[in-house]
Formats: sequence, structure tokens, C-alpha cells
Amino acid sequence: MNKLISDIRELLKKALDNKVIDALLLPVKVPAGDSYSWVILKDDKLLEKASPIPPVISVQGARAISSLTRRGKLDFKIATFMRPCEARATIELAKLAQADLDDVVLITFDCPGAIELKKYTEKPEEVEKEFSELMGNWESDVIRTICKMCDKFTCVDDGFATDLHIGLIGLNGKMAFIPRTEKGKKFLSGLGLKSEENLNDWEKKSRELIEKKRNKRKELQNKLKPQVVGLDALSKTFAKCINCRICRSVCPICYCRQCYFDSEKLKFTPDDYLIRAEKSGGIKFLPDTLLFHLGRMTHMALSCVSCGTCEDACPMDIKVAQIFSIVGDNVQKLFEYVPGRKLDEPLPLTVYKEEEFKELEV
Amino acid sequence: MEDKIGIFLCECGPNIAEKVDFDKVKEAIKNLKSVKFIGQHKLLCSDDGKKYIVNAIKEHGLTRLVIAACSPKQHELTFMKVCEEAGLNPYLFQMANIREHCAWIIEDKKEATEKAIQYIKSAYRRVRYHEPLEKKEIEANPDVLVIGGGITGLEVSLALAQSNRKVYIVEKSSELGGKLKEFNKIFTSMRDAKSFVEDKIKLVEQEKQIEVLKESEVEEVLGYFGNFIVKVKTQSKESELKVGAIVVATGYELFDGDSLAHYGYGIDDVYTALEFERMVKTGKILTKKGEPPKSVAIIHCVGRKECGYCSGVCCMYSIKFARYIKEKMKDAEVIEFHRGLTLPDKNYEKFYKDTKALGVNYIYVKDLLIEGNTKPIIKYKTEEGQFEKQVDMVVLAQAMVPPKGIDKLAKTLRIAQDKSGFFIEEHPKLAPISTSKEGVFIAGCAQGPKNIKESIVQAGAVAGRILSSLVPGKKLEPEVRVSQISESLCIGCQTCIKVCNYGAIYFDEAKRVSRVNEVLCRGCGNCVASCPSSAIQLKHFTDREIHEEIVEATR
Repeated sequence: MNKLISDIRELLKKALDNKVIDALLLPVKVPAGDSYSWVILKDDKLLEKASPIPPVISVQGARAISSLTRRGKLDFKIATFMRPCEARATIELAKLAQADLDDVVLITFDCPGAIELKKYTEKPEEVEKEFSELMGNWESDVIRTICKMCDKFTCVDDGFATDLHIGLIGLNGKMAFIPRTEKGKKFLSGLGLKSEENLNDWEKKSRELIEKKRNKRKELQNKLKPQVVGLDALSKTFAKCINCRICRSVCPICYCRQCYFDSEKLKFTPDDYLIRAEKSGGIKFLPDTLLFHLGRMTHMALSCVSCGTCEDACPMDIKVAQIFSIVGDNVQKLFEYVPGRKLDEPLPLTVYKEEEFKELEV
Repeated sequence: MEDKIGIFLCECGPNIAEKVDFDKVKEAIKNLKSVKFIGQHKLLCSDDGKKYIVNAIKEHGLTRLVIAACSPKQHELTFMKVCEEAGLNPYLFQMANIREHCAWIIEDKKEATEKAIQYIKSAYRRVRYHEPLEKKEIEANPDVLVIGGGITGLEVSLALAQSNRKVYIVEKSSELGGKLKEFNKIFTSMRDAKSFVEDKIKLVEQEKQIEVLKESEVEEVLGYFGNFIVKVKTQSKESELKVGAIVVATGYELFDGDSLAHYGYGIDDVYTALEFERMVKTGKILTKKGEPPKSVAIIHCVGRKECGYCSGVCCMYSIKFARYIKEKMKDAEVIEFHRGLTLPDKNYEKFYKDTKALGVNYIYVKDLLIEGNTKPIIKYKTEEGQFEKQVDMVVLAQAMVPPKGIDKLAKTLRIAQDKSGFFIEEHPKLAPISTSKEGVFIAGCAQGPKNIKESIVQAGAVAGRILSSLVPGKKLEPEVRVSQISESLCIGCQTCIKVCNYGAIYFDEAKRVSRVNEVLCRGCGNCVASCPSSAIQLKHFTDREIHEEIVEATR
């Protein structure tokens, strides 16, 4: 792993030196050594502290890109290195004009998974060591549950189209450069590098792994279903939620300026609450806990990339990301939509298909 | 100021009174907050009933109104007018439908009464959150845009101009007259087509009220009935037209493309219908070698299977083609290969019989294929068996299909097309010349294959409809229940712009938020539903208003 990371740093330094890009957006270890922050940098010394493949997702990369480019194009070129789930969320945000990727080279890599934030902040050094042994072990037990059930950790078979993907699976520490867009090709040729021609080993091993992880995903989702199918089960599962809304704050896709659930629209008069209490025998305060999660599910289901930041952040250990993965998978399948697959694939909400009405015909 | 809410109950003769216990209703609502007046009347929509409401509003100083009566579809407008008459903003009123939704459908009086109470309470709860909306008036523009300068477009334009309407004709090609100009004669009169259409063109050109824009295409259409703004591109120059109605008379093309090869197109002396018309126009019918053909086959239904419909005119123009040939070469053998003749008009049967009497042979075929290297050979199957026939010339009678580029116009006008690409009428029987978009009409082959007569009839119908519904001096009241976008909540994703059917939303680049053009907005609510960040509210249908109504309805 350490060799790989220094190789990537070398590569990115070259990109700066050759002026292929003007700056980099990378996770850099914070001074206390117990987390990472996204930093825009061009300085060699900072680059030494940057980790293109950090063990944790602190701030979801899509949020970093969005806050940088939401108000319009950069007038300089940057490259960023991200986990596939972060890049896919970035693409979703770009579709909603919440990020502008014209001047951004989005680089992804075969992701070994990430470690739980809480575990990392307790013993960062131990976890770093654990994580560095991960590369090559694509089915580790150390990683987060949502990573164990992730089937989009590599881009084989048109999984997702970032500018450049770096294949690592089945290559024994070697990197395979797989450009997926014109921008990616240009970046690669600017470094004097060629795209990998022989991808057979990578493809074969990747497909095997995807198959395994997909089964794992189904297995874990099925295990979870009794806790979340139906209103009663859902109510029970979310009963311990303390309404801190942290899942919303860290979610890369939650793009609203002001959350509906914080708005005046959901502040009711006392008699309104009394009517509800009268109906169901009682009403919990703070109210609308389940409505909040259901609302977020409806909003996020199509674009949810199962990055797991919500679950990582939840102080009550609710399996938010795993629950969302069930809803997401089902809804996405319905519209044959894969969030973050391609920038020019429109959001289903904006697509009118006459035949969809037939599904509603009696 | 404290609200004074009035609730009016309508007996609707025996309609409601028999099924809803009004005493119980009054008992249930009398203690609702701010309710200052509860009224009851035999028939609120009658003159006496209306007076009763106006007087009560004035006498008690009512500030909001609930009327429990019939469906708002029937009398909402009536009661809104009553509010105005009493000086109350008409949007501070809500109707509860206790007739269709209660009295008429529930047998049990107790149950019907309970439901009526629930509906009235819902309306009461909603109306408390209503906001007054101000009506606006704008002048309707009586001018008309006609897209397409073929026979249909010319006919509509003339009819309108003769009633003193300003008409703009936008024609894609460099001349008026459309397809008809390429014909020699018109069936069944066998009148000269050129003079027929040129007479019309002359009239159009003389008409001061008609402005013709040739080599022009419609680029963008904004607005609605009475107030369209149309961007037209003439060669490379752009201009803007303001009209009140739009007529789509874009006509047709003949079935073309790769499938024609199946009918032998590409073999020497196999001609399309228009190629044949052009040949006839030269005055001579000759094969490629320059000899008069001894035998000519006319193939019906070319493209019918591929298109999935019968164009209804090919049989007749095929018979006309046989006439062309027989007129010039009495002794030439003419065979028409058809799949059942379509002759629906009172004059068509005679036209066919007269042609047959000239010695034209009609063969009903089940299947047909045209092959050959130097001369076309027709291989065909009839009920009697399989046959082959070599001829000197073949003419293909192609089906009518929508012109290329029509999809773009459909998008620009925001009107629907059917599977084959023709525009869809609002209703096949009841509204065959209007579209789903008010103020946009279709005439002639834009709607589907038609002959000249049918096209002209439709042209007249469209003109009549426009003259009667778009009257000069008429005022339009733009919808006041329009969308509102919150600048602070809008994330600038422009989803609303994609789903707006009226081009009523634009993007403010400086602030990076979407904004509503209130004149163009029709209040459909598409944008409200699709806004991912709940930044849009529809006036009079705000989340709050709907929520309050539902709270009570589901209590």
C-alpha cells in the first residue's frame, strides 16, 4: 500500500510539473493525525502529507467538489482522487448543477473499502497499519459493513465513467490506467502515459469480486429486511433516532439550501398536533422522526450511492446506509438508473416516458 | 384583524337536504374558531341565493367564506363572482363538495352527514390559510400564425384574412403551394392542379393582411392562447412574431427510405409517385430508353404495411395515374396491383368505373415483390396462385408520412404526436382540429393523411374556430394561481425548467436561481412537484393549504 501511495503521489506531482493541471484536490492528514481533510494544493510538501487513498471517508469528496465549484466553473484545472462512491455522488451533484466538472479531472481507483470513522479516531495509528495491509485483500473484515456489501468499487463493464480509473485488482501492486473520457485520455497523455491495453486479468478478477460482493449485498439486505419492511418495523428501527439530522448534514446528495424538515412548513399549531395525538393515542416530541427519514429516502433513493457517510456519522448506530441501500437498489432498478454512472444520463425525475403511465393503468 | 368566517350551506333543492342533516352540521361547526356566520339556503347558485351571500358578507363583515354545495367544477366560478360583487377577494373562499361526494353517493343519512361535516371542516381549515390573489388583465392578440404554405395553410390564411385578421404564413421552402404544385391534375375533376393552387397563391399575395415568410422556420414558441411569442428564423435572420393563435398545416411527405427497394425502387423504370407526376408534366411518358411504355404497372399500398395505416388517397391518385397514361397512350396496357380499393366518396366509385372502362386492369394481390435487372418484373400472389409479369414501367403509389423535422416542431410547440409522427388531435370526434395545447390548431395532413377536399374542410373549420374564440378586443385573464420560486431555497439545478410545459421558467445567471414568468405560467404544478429542494410553491395550492385540508379530511 505504501509503495502504491508513493507511486500515485509521484504521478500527481508529475501532473503538476508538466502543467497538465494547475492544482490538486486531495485528502490531507490533519495535524493531530486523527483524520483527513480535503485540501486544494500545488505545493510538494503538502502533497507529501496527502493521501490519495485514505483509510476513512471523513468529508464525502462530492461535498468538497461541490462547495468548490457550485457557483460556477473554475478558471484553473484540477485533478482529484476519489473513491468510486465519492466520484459517483459528484456526478449526481453535477447533474443537478451543484458541481461543475468542466475543469476537474475525476480520478477513481479500485477501492478496497474504508474503515469506520469512530474506530479510526480512537486508534488512528493501529487502523492505518490495518488499512495498509488491505490492498490485495478485497474481502477484508476490517472495513465498514456498507463497504463489504459494495458492488461498485471498480468500474469494470461500464460500471461508472469517471475521467480516469486506476485498476488495481489482480495486478499485484501494479497500476492499470483506464481512461473513460476524452478529458481522462488527455490527462494521461499529458503525463506521457498510455492506457492499459491488456485488462484481462483485471476484468476477470473484478467480475469475480463483484459477483461475490453482490451476493453479500443481497445476503445482508435480506437479513436487515425484517427490521425495515412495513411502517411498524421502520418505526421501531428509527425509534432511537435523536433527531440530530447528522445523516442529512454529511450526505453528499442532500443538496437543499434549507431542509424541508427545518422549514416553517413543518411547524404546526398546537391543535394540529393535538388532532394527531388524538388519532394515534399519543405523539412523540420532537415529532416527525420517521417522516424525516422517509422524506430523505424519497429524496435520495434515486441518487443514493451507498457511500455510508450517514451511517458512519450516526451517533445512535442506526444502520442508515444499509437501510437506504435497500430502498435505493429497488427504486433505481425500477427506473433502470444507476446513480453516477454517466454525467449525461438524465435524472429519472426529469424524463417523461409515456409507457410509464401504462404501469398505472387499471 | 381577526378573521370573520362565514359558512354557507346549500340545500340544492332536495338534492343535498334529503341526505344531509343540516341541523347536525350546524351543531358540529358552530363553535369553530372565527366562524361568525352560518347560513343556509335552498339554492345558493340562484339569483336569490347569490343575493343572500352578498348581503351576509356585507352585513357581518365576513373576511373568508366556505360554501358547502356542489362540485367546484360546477359553481366555483359562480361563487367567486359573488365574492367579488360583495367586495371580497374571490380567493378567500373555498368550496366543500357535499353533493357529488356526499349526498349523491351515500345511502345512509347519518354517514352522509358525517362526511359532509368532515368536508366542511376541511374547507374551513384550508380557507384560514388562503391568501388574497389579485387578478390581472391583458389584451388578447387576434393575429394568427400559420405554419406551412401548402393548400391547407393558404386556405386557412385566406379565410382569416377575409375576416380582416392579420396572418403570418411561415413556409419552410422558397415558394407557396406545397405538394399540390407538383401535381398535374386533381382527382376526380381532373382539373389542372397548377392553376388551382396558383389561383390561391395569387389571392394570398394580393391580400394585404397576409404576410408570407418564405424559407423560414419556427424556432421557439412561448406563451399561450391569445398571447404567443414566436421566434422565426428566415434563412439566418431571426424575427419575433406576436400572435394569439397558431395553425399547424405542415402537410406530409411520401413514404420513402430503404424500404422502397423492396418495391423495386432502384431498378430502371421504377418511379415514385412524384417522379411520375414530374414526368407527366414534361408532356411525355417515356421509359429510360426514350420509348413510350407498352405496359405500365401501378403499385398500390407502398408503405402501408410499414406505416401501419391506410393513407386513404393512394388508390384515388393511382387511378388518376392510369388516366394520365390512357390519355396519352390509349393502347398501353395499364395494370393496377392493389390490396383492396379504398373509394369512400360519392364520386369515387364512378371515377374508378370510368377508368376501368378505359381498359385498365385491376388485380387484387395478396403479396407482391418487384425484381429485375433491365426491366422490372412483378412477382405477385393472388387467390388463384403465384404469377409473374414483366412491364416497361412501374409507378409506386406511396403512403403519406409526416414530413422530416416534424419532431422538432412538436417539441417547440409542445404538442403531442402519434406513433407514426402525425400530430394528435384533442379528440378524434369531438375536437379533431384542436390540440392538447389551447390556441394551437392542426389542419390538413399535419393531423394525418387526407385528400385535398378534407384538408380544405379542416382549414375552414380551424378558421371558424379562431374567428369565434379569439375576438379582437377580448381581454385575457392570466392565471393568478402561479408558481413562486424562493430565491433563498432554490439550488439552481434547473429541473423546473426541464419539466415546464409552457416555457414559463427562466434561469437568472447572476443569482443562479430559477425565476417564473407569471404571464406564461399556467399553474399546472409540474415544477412544484419536481423541485428537488421544495423551493417552489403554487399560489392557492401551497403545502400549508393542502396540509391543513388533509389534516381535517383524514382526522
